Amino acid sequence: MHKTMKLTPKQIDYCMQCGMCTGSCPVSSEISGFSPRQLIRRTMLEPDTGLIQSPEIWSCLGCASCSQRCPVGIDFPEFISVSRRQARKAGNLPQESHHGVLQLIAELQTHAVKQQRTAWAREAGAFRDTGEYFYFVGCLPYFDVTFRYLNLTPLETARSILTLLNRIGVEPVISNDERCCGHDALWSGNESVFRKLARWNLEVIKSSGAKTVLFSCPEGYVTFKEHYPKYFGKLPFEVIHMTEFLVRKLPESNLSFQSSSEATITYHDPCRLGRLAGIYDPPRQLLQLFPEIQILEMERNRENSLCCGTIAWMECSSCSKTLQSTRLQEAIQTGAQTLITACPKCQIHFRCAQSRMESDLKVVDLYTYLRKRLRGEPAGDA
Amino acid sequence: MTQKALDSDKQFSGHLKIVAFVCNWCAYAGADLAGVSRLQYPTNVRLIRVMCTGRLNHGFILRAFVTGADGVWVSG
Repeated sequence: MHKTMKLTPKQIDYCMQCGMCTGSCPVSSEISGFSPRQLIRRTMLEPDTGLIQSPEIWSCLGCASCSQRCPVGIDFPEFISVSRRQARKAGNLPQESHHGVLQLIAELQTHAVKQQRTAWAREAGAFRDTGEYFYFVGCLPYFDVTFRYLNLTPLETARSILTLLNRIGVEPVISNDERCCGHDALWSGNESVFRKLARWNLEVIKSSGAKTVLFSCPEGYVTFKEHYPKYFGKLPFEVIHMTEFLVRKLPESNLSFQSSSEATITYHDPCRLGRLAGIYDPPRQLLQLFPEIQILEMERNRENSLCCGTIAWMECSSCSKTLQSTRLQEAIQTGAQTLITACPKCQIHFRCAQSRMESDLKVVDLYTYLRKRLRGEPAGDA
Repeated sequence: MTQKALDSDKQFSGHLKIVAFVCNWCAYAGADLAGVSRLQYPTNVRLIRVMCTGRLNHGFILRAFVTGADGVWVSG
């Protein structure tokens, strides 16, 4: 068995070339030359050169639409992710978006740099240096600076979460020394950067004494939940997604929310939160806390949700743009006024696609939507 | 390119390293003129000539920091 197959030797044996993967793949439907089935076949025929040298290795979104439906359970995203490490070593590199700035920001964080990650939180609410709950903010402070040109303020998500947590009596730890979770490094085959970032994070969380780490970003959540234990063993803390936490805590708190006229919404399942982490219901349950809200499901929802088109800030192409506008069209067709998403990257990608099309659809982040309905908070118009 | 400029002079590794991106038509010409006029400038500044500073984007600056620069100077 060849070394690329070491993650699960059974995988390649089990592939029966049925083509379910290619039929389910959102990229294959746009780029006719891209086919997960053929990539597996090519790897079997030419293990050393087939996939490793091909540019297609970077086209996969890791959205898991294929592995969700594969009759023999081949984890294609993991297979691609492992193969990308070899491709990188062989000098086959991806086309990085935004001049590679976001990859460089992640790489800078592997060094002992002094960051300003908590400036926003000092104005937004109360937080601590040590305590039971750690709120892993992730890349939001960096996105906030990088995506101003899209008129986006990703830190609004973090502010909303801190407000919600404070109102239910939780003062979380927020740290200046937190690092990028390493998701993008891992998925673009940059294992050494991932390892360094993960070590920093584990150290920072350990020194805070936190027992529970809360994530608002689906990528951070799935990376901590699935990948950190694979590299570093069992984690000394519990990993919980913010939607799970809020769904448990909000009903038993005495917070009250106000109704709004904009009550028809649709919810986009991010790949990382849905197919990769299996969290479909908690975000919907949070929205159902408001009796007047009507959730209109898109044609493709839950495990069939369409990916927002780009992964790890690379290979943004006409395919990505088509996927984004297709998804926005699906949302518009439901008749909803607002598209809610729980992933900062989905929001950024949709906003970028929206800047090239005409639509009145509002793309709003889940936590900001909740916070604006909280009694005693400025309502705003979202 | 940046890495090369930083590695070029190991003996100064104790100093703060500053990477300067200079425009061919003004800042680089100025540095050249300074050289011709036998004026000295600190050796911990590493010049990288670009045909126009419009060639640069924020990626260049971050890349300089990632590869070990302590400061970046864009002049042009």
